[in-house]
Amino acid sequence: MKQVPSKSVSRFSLEKLKNKSEWLIYLVPFAVGVIIFTLYPIINVFLTSFKENFNYMTKEFSGWGLGNYTYVLQDPYFHQALKNTFFYVFIVIPISTCLAVLIATLLNQKIKFSGLFQTAYFLPMVTSTIAVGLAWRFMFNYKSGVFNYFLGLFGIDAINWLQVTTGNFPALCIYGIWAILPFTIILLLSGLQNIDPMYYTAAKVDGAGPIRIFFKITVPLLMPTIFLVMIVNTISCFKVFNELFPLFSGPGVANNLYTAVYYIYYQFRIQIPSRYGYATAAAVILFGIIFVFTMLQRIIEKKLKN
Amino acid sequence: MKVTIQNLTKCFGATTAVNDFSAVIESGELIALLGPSGCGKSTMLNMISGILPVTKGKIFFDDEDVTDLSPEKRGVGLVFQNYALYPHMTVLENICFPLEIKKVKKEERIARAKEMAKLVHVEALLDRKPSQLSGGQQQRVAIARALVKHPRILLLDEPLSNLDARLRIEMREEIRRIQQETGITTIFVTHDQEEAMSISDHIVLMRDGFLQQIARPQELYDEPANCFVADFLGTPPINKTYGVVKNGTIVLEGDCTVALEAAKNLDEGREVILSMRAEAIIVNDSVPLAEGTIDEVYVMGKEVLAYVQLGSKRVRAYVEADEEYGKGEKVKIGLKKRGVFVFDKETGERLV
Repeated sequence: MKQVPSKSVSRFSLEKLKNKSEWLIYLVPFAVGVIIFTLYPIINVFLTSFKENFNYMTKEFSGWGLGNYTYVLQDPYFHQALKNTFFYVFIVIPISTCLAVLIATLLNQKIKFSGLFQTAYFLPMVTSTIAVGLAWRFMFNYKSGVFNYFLGLFGIDAINWLQVTTGNFPALCIYGIWAILPFTIILLLSGLQNIDPMYYTAAKVDGAGPIRIFFKITVPLLMPTIFLVMIVNTISCFKVFNELFPLFSGPGVANNLYTAVYYIYYQFRIQIPSRYGYATAAAVILFGIIFVFTMLQRIIEKKLKN
Repeated sequence: MKVTIQNLTKCFGATTAVNDFSAVIESGELIALLGPSGCGKSTMLNMISGILPVTKGKIFFDDEDVTDLSPEKRGVGLVFQNYALYPHMTVLENICFPLEIKKVKKEERIARAKEMAKLVHVEALLDRKPSQLSGGQQQRVAIARALVKHPRILLLDEPLSNLDARLRIEMREEIRRIQQETGITTIFVTHDQEEAMSISDHIVLMRDGFLQQIARPQELYDEPANCFVADFLGTPPINKTYGVVKNGTIVLEGDCTVALEAAKNLDEGREVILSMRAEAIIVNDSVPLAEGTIDEVYVMGKEVLAYVQLGSKRVRAYVEADEEYGKGEKVKIGLKKRGVFVFDKETGERLV
């Protein structure tokens, strides 16, 4: 009946080790990805923005300081970029949110062909950007586009959406609203489906009409989801960049559609030699703006809740 | 207000939820719609409220035909099973909401809401949100919201099923009190016989979409119209035995003869169900009608429940606490007049 202590001890400790380190095994793949592709670049961008005359190839820089920030903050291109970005956010977010709430509410009704409508609204998410861009260029065409045709029906002069600076920005906003709708509608639809239908029945028994039900029941109960999509969409709209390419293949006519991210991209990629310092400083400033806006939204949300 | 229901039928596709249902509900009464799950009682309620359209038949409020009217035009107050209080509104706003829709002026709205809050005892909670209330308080608010627009009829769908046992007794008495104070005709749905028995003026008992019986609670218990009604009411459940009429007696399965007086009027050879309430069976009676064997005896505080073998069936009977019985002891069984019924085996119809 002699026991073999060494064996049992070693087995015991091995199991213990296994238990202790098990969580690590699950965590590592994700953590490695986050560290390499998210954390490291963030820290690096932040540090680089304070390095003056930084050379990416040689990693040399003349010294730490706020030089990049003073340059960027005085750059008229950056001013233009910020102005465009803010206008874009303040036009696209309210319109797209209202439209999405409306469309989602309608899609949530028991209507015929609702599956067909849902597919139609979600199509932008899965369609190739190049195809989408081509289609939109046709629609925005000065002479034969469908937009100008409809304006003509109301007796409004045709707008040269794509080739003249004044038409560029509205075209970008319309396209941006369209592009953001599917994702917003999906989120809102799931929010709507979480509302217990008995609230509608209760309101109907008391004689509430559809408009009152929409404003007094649906919208307030949907508010958490509306805030969620507004926060997510505001962040993505501040980063407006991709949207420039399908329509204009760049920042519009005569560079009048500079956006904050395009400015960063420009300093980083188009400028030769690249100005990494300016690009990173602009990125940090943009981060600051988005951060402040997100916090503001959260504060408003909390205030409204009470 | 009197509610008259005429030949009401509701079909969902091929299934018939309510079948040719006729009833009259007198003004100012508290009525329980009672029945097992899926018997069509909630469908009934929803048709009275107007949420569900009827397939056939008519509904009258007093003399007015409301069959084709929408819920808001019928003037019904409805309390939902889960209360359906709007979570984003305070208690006061919730109670005010029906008046807001009716475009009642704000001061009057609030005055009437407060009056209702007082009636249901939630006047201290007006500024709270529904999530800050207990189940019973939510129930009270839901009743106030249903009553605030002065409906002609109050409908409650399983009003007590979401409450715990103690609160259930408290709330059912509250519902009775509120109903009595307002004098409003009230219909509530329940599957709990005790709930229905304890507070309602009349019980409407349903099964599989068919009306079984409308009666006062005690009457329903004492004079069931058929075998289902007798089975459904009472705790412990009624003792149900099967037998055949022979020579003016009932011979139960397992060859046990019950010399029931009333059996003399029954046709010879008819197959019947003899149902006996536990309190109607007298063990060691001086006028024995049958013979049985004690199987088991359970002492439960003030009462003693004995299981007696009658033929092949085991029946429950209450016995005197001071008498002692041994297992397997032969006993003479007597039956009281009250609480003993004979039904037809085929149709379940009451014979005696």
